[in-house]
Amino acid sequence: MLKYLKKYRKWCILAPIMMMGEIFMDLLQPHLMAKIVDDGVLEGNMQLILTVGIRMILLVLFGGLCGILSGVFANLAAQNYANDLRKDLFSKIMHLSFRQIDKISTGSLVTRLTNDVTQVQQMVHMSIRMVVRSGLMFLGGIVMLYQQSPRFALVAAVALPLIVGAAAIFLRMATPLFGVVQARLDGVNNVMQENVAGARVVKAYVKEEHELSRFDLANDLLCSTNLRVATILAFLSPIINIILNACVVAVIWIGGRTVEEGLPLRPGAIMAAITYLSMLLMGLMSMIMVFQTFTRALASAKRIREVLDEPELIRDGGFAGDTGGRTGEIEFKNVSFSYPSSGGKKVLEGVDLKVNKGETVAILGSTGSGKSTLIDLIPRFYDATEGEVLVDGVNVRDYDLGALRAKIAMVPQKAELYCRPIEANIRWGKDGADPWEIKRAAEIAQADDFICATPEGYYTQVTEGGHSLSGGQKQRIALSRAVLKDAEIMIFDDSTSALDLSTEAKLYRALEETRPDTTKIIIAQRIASVRGADRIAVLDNGRIAACGTHEELMQSSPVYRDICFSQLKEDEQ
Amino acid sequence: MTQNGENKTALPRGFETGRATQEVSYAKKDAAPQKTNTVDLRGRPGGGRGGPGARMAAAVEKPKDLKKTLRRLLRYFGRESGLILLLFFSVIAVTVTALIAPSLQGSAIDRISEKSFDSLPRTLILLAAVYGVRVLFTLSQTLTAAHLSQRTVKRMRHDLFEKIDRLPIAYLDTHSNGDVMSRMTNDVENVSDTVSQSLGSLVSGVLTVVGTVAVMLWHCWQLTLISLVTVVLTVLVTKKLSGVMRKLYRRRSGALGALNGHAEEMITGFRSTVAYNKEDDVIAEFNAASDELRTVGIKADILGGSMGPVMNCISNIGFVIVAAFGGFFALKGMITIGTISAFIIYAKQFSRPINEIAQLYGSVQTAIAGAERVFELMDQPDEDNRGEKPMEKIRGDIRFEKVNFSYIPGKQVLFDFDLDVRPGEKIALVGATGSGKTTVVNLLMRFYPPDSGHIYIDGVDIYDYTRDSLRKNTAIVLQDTVLFSDTVEQNIRYANTEASEEEMRRAAEASNSAYFIERLPEQYATYLKHAGASLSQGERQLLAIARAVLADPKILILDEATSSVDTRTEKRIQDAMVRLMANRTSLIIAHRLSTVRDADKIVVMDHGRVIETGNHEELLEKKGKYYELYMTQFAGNQI
Repeated sequence: MLKYLKKYRKWCILAPIMMMGEIFMDLLQPHLMAKIVDDGVLEGNMQLILTVGIRMILLVLFGGLCGILSGVFANLAAQNYANDLRKDLFSKIMHLSFRQIDKISTGSLVTRLTNDVTQVQQMVHMSIRMVVRSGLMFLGGIVMLYQQSPRFALVAAVALPLIVGAAAIFLRMATPLFGVVQARLDGVNNVMQENVAGARVVKAYVKEEHELSRFDLANDLLCSTNLRVATILAFLSPIINIILNACVVAVIWIGGRTVEEGLPLRPGAIMAAITYLSMLLMGLMSMIMVFQTFTRALASAKRIREVLDEPELIRDGGFAGDTGGRTGEIEFKNVSFSYPSSGGKKVLEGVDLKVNKGETVAILGSTGSGKSTLIDLIPRFYDATEGEVLVDGVNVRDYDLGALRAKIAMVPQKAELYCRPIEANIRWGKDGADPWEIKRAAEIAQADDFICATPEGYYTQVTEGGHSLSGGQKQRIALSRAVLKDAEIMIFDDSTSALDLSTEAKLYRALEETRPDTTKIIIAQRIASVRGADRIAVLDNGRIAACGTHEELMQSSPVYRDICFSQLKEDEQ
Repeated sequence: MTQNGENKTALPRGFETGRATQEVSYAKKDAAPQKTNTVDLRGRPGGGRGGPGARMAAAVEKPKDLKKTLRRLLRYFGRESGLILLLFFSVIAVTVTALIAPSLQGSAIDRISEKSFDSLPRTLILLAAVYGVRVLFTLSQTLTAAHLSQRTVKRMRHDLFEKIDRLPIAYLDTHSNGDVMSRMTNDVENVSDTVSQSLGSLVSGVLTVVGTVAVMLWHCWQLTLISLVTVVLTVLVTKKLSGVMRKLYRRRSGALGALNGHAEEMITGFRSTVAYNKEDDVIAEFNAASDELRTVGIKADILGGSMGPVMNCISNIGFVIVAAFGGFFALKGMITIGTISAFIIYAKQFSRPINEIAQLYGSVQTAIAGAERVFELMDQPDEDNRGEKPMEKIRGDIRFEKVNFSYIPGKQVLFDFDLDVRPGEKIALVGATGSGKTTVVNLLMRFYPPDSGHIYIDGVDIYDYTRDSLRKNTAIVLQDTVLFSDTVEQNIRYANTEASEEEMRRAAEASNSAYFIERLPEQYATYLKHAGASLSQGERQLLAIARAVLADPKILILDEATSSVDTRTEKRIQDAMVRLMANRTSLIIAHRLSTVRDADKIVVMDHGRVIETGNHEELLEKKGKYYELYMTQFAGNQI
């Protein structure tokens, strides 16, 4: 991931240089001050006080300028770096295959793109700035201290291991507790979530008191754990302060003894030594902090690299998709499929199915029978493990991905809407569609009525996750989008489950009227939804158990009859 | 499209209202993530104590009624008066010792320069003692603040949770869960942390400034006045910079919110992005958002980062001023060298609290705005708790009389709704979505009060019964099953904690859920994580039925799930429901043919009115609305 930094090499070099400037100025000052005190004040040399004073102010200004510039360069480097990284990462994510997305999970991808990138950005910023700063302050402090008197350096030598030891012990004690705090917080959130989301059940069973005691338990646990962490950390800073203060006392005492012994040491130097000592220790403390952020950021960097290093699994075929007269024909030839995570267990096995142009084929089967997997193979969301899938007589692997997917309009089970006006959500299906087209699509999808009933009509804003809409409304907007796409193949993946059957029936009727030539594949669980399809394929345990019209299947397929009887009553037929 | 010219002037219905409001909607969208994001940022400091001033500049919200909220907040903390006293005492002790220490240090240096080495050890011992006292009280200050904060958080959260369970359903239905939750966690924590920490800082800040100036004046007033120059500089610069910075940080969190929102939306909606070949558009949008964040971020961080060096600069200039003038005064014999050493520390010491107080101002304001949100929730009216009559041994006779209801004024949902259910009857409510079926249930459970009209159970108005006894006599099984993160057993026992082990198991048998529970790793003692996310939808439904069986209510309300599960589970659910309904008055929002066929009475609803009632055969013969519904909805004759 360092290669992203190459472009900003000059900032990366300039920032630490400027930082060095700032630190040198900081280090020089106590020394100059000692000079003012020892040579100026004690010797009664006002002239020297003034000249050194002016020199000091100039140095201070120079140091400040260096400090600001160092910040500017470090920010330019870190933020540009993070920006490039973020863009590449997002683009990479958009080109991952479904298999890879499933493996990492969408939630984790979002975190990597946001939190982890920020962590890495901070790390870059820190390493070109803080590392230099704390390191220089530490080393410079030691050198300057030694210069005042070697004995002072001895004080530092004793104090250092003590401080490092104390910090290490306390951080080691507190660190595992951070995980516990997180778990306790989840506990509190859990009870809360359940009560807010399940308020009807809590109230209906009059369980308010029970829930309150459950919450109190979780709340107590969280607060006591928080308190434990706070208590441990509360000791850290006083202990470090004790060490620091003891050092100050020691320096003065040693200074006094040195002067008493008649060795060359002056009061100004003692004052400077105190300042250097605190600088040195501050440098050390911030090194510990930097180290902590580093370990966290390295974990983030690893998570980002995992995504960037994912191989490109789906290869474009390059076939542009001009199949002449054959449009909307789909064929599965002996297709088998298994998810990598399922340990070779086949979700689909030897599926043969041909769907002709303009035909409506319904796929029926219980949860887990492989319906969604089967249709995911058509737009190459996944690739078949064995056998081949043909669209218009051409293997889907030979298509240019864009060209293949342009032929297909797919409505997923869970309507995916975006925080934009309804109109823009529908227009997602076809760039530059005009209002009339959008309205027409919504009419077919039975969405126009409810959209027009809202005060802002098509410009109604869809809120995050579409919470302002009912499940059926969301599905109808997603359906409108697919209708607008005007593709040769339409696939409905149980995407009408939240519609009542009369609305669903109207939708299919409107589609049949306006799009007679479009091939339609419908996944559904309700017999009533699929009854009127040209053919119904019954999927059972990854195999096609039967295929035919409703009447044929009632005669020939026991599995179909079974499903029917559970939904309609036996004597119905 | 040939009539393109027309299109521009006459837009289709649904679009015409829009044009004008379009800008508004976009503006709303921009504003929304910004707000939620600041909450997030505050909620998780995540190592981001960042540069100096980062806290101060993280977008400040303005409270609406500062005084009132503050008073109420202080009352909350006031209950811990012992802790607060201890906190104040510690703070004062720390401040005083911090004031004494530099003077002692200065006099120690004087001893050396005067070469009076005999008295040096005594001074140093005194100095060490003062340091020791300071450290002790620092410790007590931190610990007290932590206890104060945690205790207050705990109580506030408890109160808030208690409130949430007392809120009317209407409130929860109209507010997003995320909003309510964020008040419980982020706001509460933020409020108590800020208050308990800033209480100490404020006191110590004021004390330090006053004390330092006093001690300095006592040492040498001329030098004090001169050092005050740096204070003025500090205050001016801080004020100037933080104003600009606040704006920049607000813009940055807006940009960050937009970026995160976009990323989350596009990654979770990956399927639709890919299916519509939208990858390139989406990437371009993301890149634009990312660039914007970088630009604003660089500006904000450079400014924020300059704060440190600038302050450093000012304090160093102060240092030179003190050294130069101090040297001059020392030459004149007005002060000693030790005084200079003390002044250098004092000058540093008092510019720090001034910065801190300036920063506190911002974070306290944000915290108070958070407190306002918390109190606003606490001030919501409780759920209606009318009625004194306990409901006991009812027959289960339900009557709706001329009930009118609307969720939003002006949009009526039920019109003069009448319904008569005799004890033990099974009533199926049928109708298109939005016809008012669920509303009937909401009113019967007293989740919402009717606008007019009455609902009677056994001839008594339900608002004359106590609310709890009404609900105890009715059980509901909802479409979206609600399970709790607890053991299977506790989930079944939810309605009836006193039930014996035997009764609990019988309920599981009766609801057909025993078969899968026994296959769970620890059977009935299995802990359901994440509210039963590991169970299939069918299994969750069966558990909800088991719960209702154990509740053994006189009145049962069922909202049948629309999406079905696999064939065998479906059968099990059906059987369990039939068993559950036996000997009870049941009200079913029906989606299944078998349910309507078996119902004693079918009530067909349309736009908030009952339009047909009768049993299946009667209604079919009528060839009215039910017939139409039946043909399309249940038999699915036309596709």
